[in-house]
Amino acid sequence: MAATLEHGHHAQPSEQELWAGGRSPFKTSYGKVMMWYFLISDTFTFASFLIAYSALRFTQSEAWPKAAEVFKSIPIHGLDHYNLPLVFVSFMTFLLIVSSYTMVRAVQEGYRMNKSGVIKFLIPTLVCGVLFLGCQYLEWTHLIHDGMTATTASEATKVLNFGQLFFIITGFHGLHVFGGVVLLTWLTVATWNGTFEKRGHYEMVEKIGLYWHFVDLVWVYVFLSFYLL
Amino acid sequence: MENNHEMPEGHLHWNDQEYSDSRKDVLKTIIILSVVTITEVGIAILYDHLNPTGGNFKWAINLFMVIASIVKVYFIMGTFMHLKHETKGFLMTVFVPFTFLIWAIIAFTLEGRSWEHMRSLLNVF
Repeated sequence: MAATLEHGHHAQPSEQELWAGGRSPFKTSYGKVMMWYFLISDTFTFASFLIAYSALRFTQSEAWPKAAEVFKSIPIHGLDHYNLPLVFVSFMTFLLIVSSYTMVRAVQEGYRMNKSGVIKFLIPTLVCGVLFLGCQYLEWTHLIHDGMTATTASEATKVLNFGQLFFIITGFHGLHVFGGVVLLTWLTVATWNGTFEKRGHYEMVEKIGLYWHFVDLVWVYVFLSFYLL
Repeated sequence: MENNHEMPEGHLHWNDQEYSDSRKDVLKTIIILSVVTITEVGIAILYDHLNPTGGNFKWAINLFMVIASIVKVYFIMGTFMHLKHETKGFLMTVFVPFTFLIWAIIAFTLEGRSWEHMRSLLNVF
């Protein structure tokens, strides 16, 4: 943003002033607005997957498997004999909720120009993201071992489409988590190096934060579609 | 938020009061999200335990799950993604495109029903 721009006292700016440039009509920065518009386009991609899920599920609603049967155990060796439906995926959901909280705390510390505070909350966010991916690895391995793949249905899933949609949708979500982990790693290093302190603001933390919350937001719908309905 | 007027857009620097208010708001939100999620999972497991074959009230449970998810989305977008504090014009540019999705969800759900009906007529699957 050009340093010459005036942001003085405009009690009632005229319409001409608002649209003359140099000031956002949305009172927010270009970068954040564009991050939002990227997220909207990404919403459409996820929505088309979930709408395909809903349409294909309704074509075979009688045969569609119950979540409590497909996801009936914890996919960790030694714990996989117990019948504990949804427990593991609830843990994964909590990882994302907690990471959203620590992310927003990092943004708040950024508003305070508190460099060590930003790092203190970015690291747990990053750890939760990595743990989530690890959990997804365990879950996928377990399900594939059960016989649910992109080309075969397991005893529990019965319907071929269930596994196909599950791997595509959770896989695409996992790809977004992975992207977020890469961004967060870079962000932590850049914060550590004092990049944003020199810049005078931590807006980059906000922008990557928006992306990270979006990943949590999509998970709400993935969780709803595959595990709760 | 009037107090942002004199700052370059998006480059907020908070005073102590704004900082502590915002922390309280976020803490409240994470508690709500946790409680809603625990309730959802608890009800899902309990219902499945009581009705292993499906039961008659699955639709009510589904309705609850959808509403609970919308509540979660509201708090994530409103507080965590800061939408509660954005201008109305910006909110419009975010939410108006979603009306297409409402149409798509209704259209393709009905389409799925229709395919199921056609499959039963063909009886080859």
